[in-house]
Amino acid sequence: MPALLEVGGLGKRFGGFVALEGIDLAVDTGERLGLIGPNGSGKSTLVNCLCGALHHDSGTIAFDGRTIDGLPAYQRTRLGLARSFQLPKPFRSLSLVDNLRVPSLYTVNARPGARLSPGAIGERCLALLDDVGLADKAARLPRDLTQVEMRKLELARAVASAPRLLFADETMAGLSPSEVEEILAVLVRLNEQGITIVLIEHIMRAVMSFSTRLVVLVAGQKIADGPPQEAIRNPEVERAYLGE
Amino acid sequence: MGTGTFWGVSLFVAIALLVLTRGLIANEYFFFAGYVVLQYIVLATAWNILGGYTGYTNFGVGAFFAVGAYSSVVLHKLTSVPVPVMILVGGLISGILGFGMGYLTLRLKGVFFAIATLALAIVAQTLIVNWDYVGGSRGIYVIRPQQAPLLGSYVQYLYSLMLVLAWAAVAIARTIERSRLGLGFNAIRDDEAAAEAGGVPTLRLKLIATSLSGALMGMSGAPLPYYVTYLDPASSFNLSYAVNSVAMPLIGGMTSWIGPVIGAVLLGTIQQLATVTISSALNLLIVGLLLIAFVIIAPNGIVGLVQARRRARLR
Repeated sequence: MPALLEVGGLGKRFGGFVALEGIDLAVDTGERLGLIGPNGSGKSTLVNCLCGALHHDSGTIAFDGRTIDGLPAYQRTRLGLARSFQLPKPFRSLSLVDNLRVPSLYTVNARPGARLSPGAIGERCLALLDDVGLADKAARLPRDLTQVEMRKLELARAVASAPRLLFADETMAGLSPSEVEEILAVLVRLNEQGITIVLIEHIMRAVMSFSTRLVVLVAGQKIADGPPQEAIRNPEVERAYLGE
Repeated sequence: MGTGTFWGVSLFVAIALLVLTRGLIANEYFFFAGYVVLQYIVLATAWNILGGYTGYTNFGVGAFFAVGAYSSVVLHKLTSVPVPVMILVGGLISGILGFGMGYLTLRLKGVFFAIATLALAIVAQTLIVNWDYVGGSRGIYVIRPQQAPLLGSYVQYLYSLMLVLAWAAVAIARTIERSRLGLGFNAIRDDEAAAEAGGVPTLRLKLIATSLSGALMGMSGAPLPYYVTYLDPASSFNLSYAVNSVAMPLIGGMTSWIGPVIGAVLLGTIQQLATVTISSALNLLIVGLLLIAFVIIAPNGIVGLVQARRRARLR
């Protein structure tokens, strides 16, 4: 069976700066993949290229057996490739439930097959908010939320597009240990519901407990890929993180 | 207000306005002034579809408005079609202009988009100034048909048309607001990258917004030649159209269809009264003062004030 996401020889430059070079990556259905790397190693650029916010210069991306090079971001989301943003980007003027209504209407109802009625969409959004513990604030605006709630909203909005693969881009940065646990629990639950998850994260404790496989990026290149315990013992990874 | 109620009430208000004003008011000047207020309801509503819902500030209102007006001049010289047809043609041409503007400026955001639209207005005006067929810079006289197609005077006829157009514009704006399209517009306004990641085809939606907004502005400008009977570039491209079309939704409130209507009725009426009682030069001063007052007291307009009060009560 082919992998859910197949990346071959992906490269991205910004002028003379090589942000990503020759990235090969396969993600299988149901996996919990951790993606780590020092600041500026190209993690977010990789996510941006895979989700269509940026266009890569070389290589190919295939999702579910279909090449998606050059597809705009919204079409990739409709195919089932969702992301959360590193800095939460809520729709500020919309209530929490409407924040989720946007992807519900534009992805779930834009796919071929069953169209949900407005009532069913509303219920679905409330259920998704309930999943992350925000149901009682459904009518509030994002500015009323705390930082950890904002991250949960960001995740819930990504999940509202009914993705098959979710990129969680530093959803836990700056949170307290107990809040990290809360977000981790949400992610594990989503994975159990059948969503393949790629976790981009700096908090090693979280990455190690969550991931079934670890990929390490350094200076735009993939230097390790394998079981988490093995990957972090890789000498190159140690050198990148701890120095010579 | 439910959708059924809105259609019922708005149609009733429009018809009542039409029948009552035309039945009860004999003063011709009322229709002359009323036309301008209605025209501003269309302009402000059209501006708000792009500026309020989608978050793209258009300062090129004058261009869309004047292109609608000048398309009527061309039609007037070439053929003799009724004004409603002119309105449709003006809308079509300005809609195409809006599509083109959207396509060319889609990479620009915020203040850069606003500057580009201002430049568009200047380019369009330069073209008209140098086009002799429509009068060039010296302007052109447009003779109205002797008889109005409906009962009453010709100005009353134009007033009635503009009333219908205003109703249509508001109905369109409200329909968008409650639809998937409107939610997509709002998502673009709040965060374009997040909207795209949420499956919203941002480019397509922005082109719909620029085209529709431009078309409605062109439609409101199409009857202008018959209204003023003398059209020249300096007045038809006047910046005050843009200033007013921006100020009215700001004062009324940009998040709801009723905001531009409130703003246009309020500001438009004050301007018409000031023109008669004090001086026509005072208009822009009034707009400026009101804008400053609203930015300080009610940055989200009158509708925003009401909404904030309602939300505070819910808590």
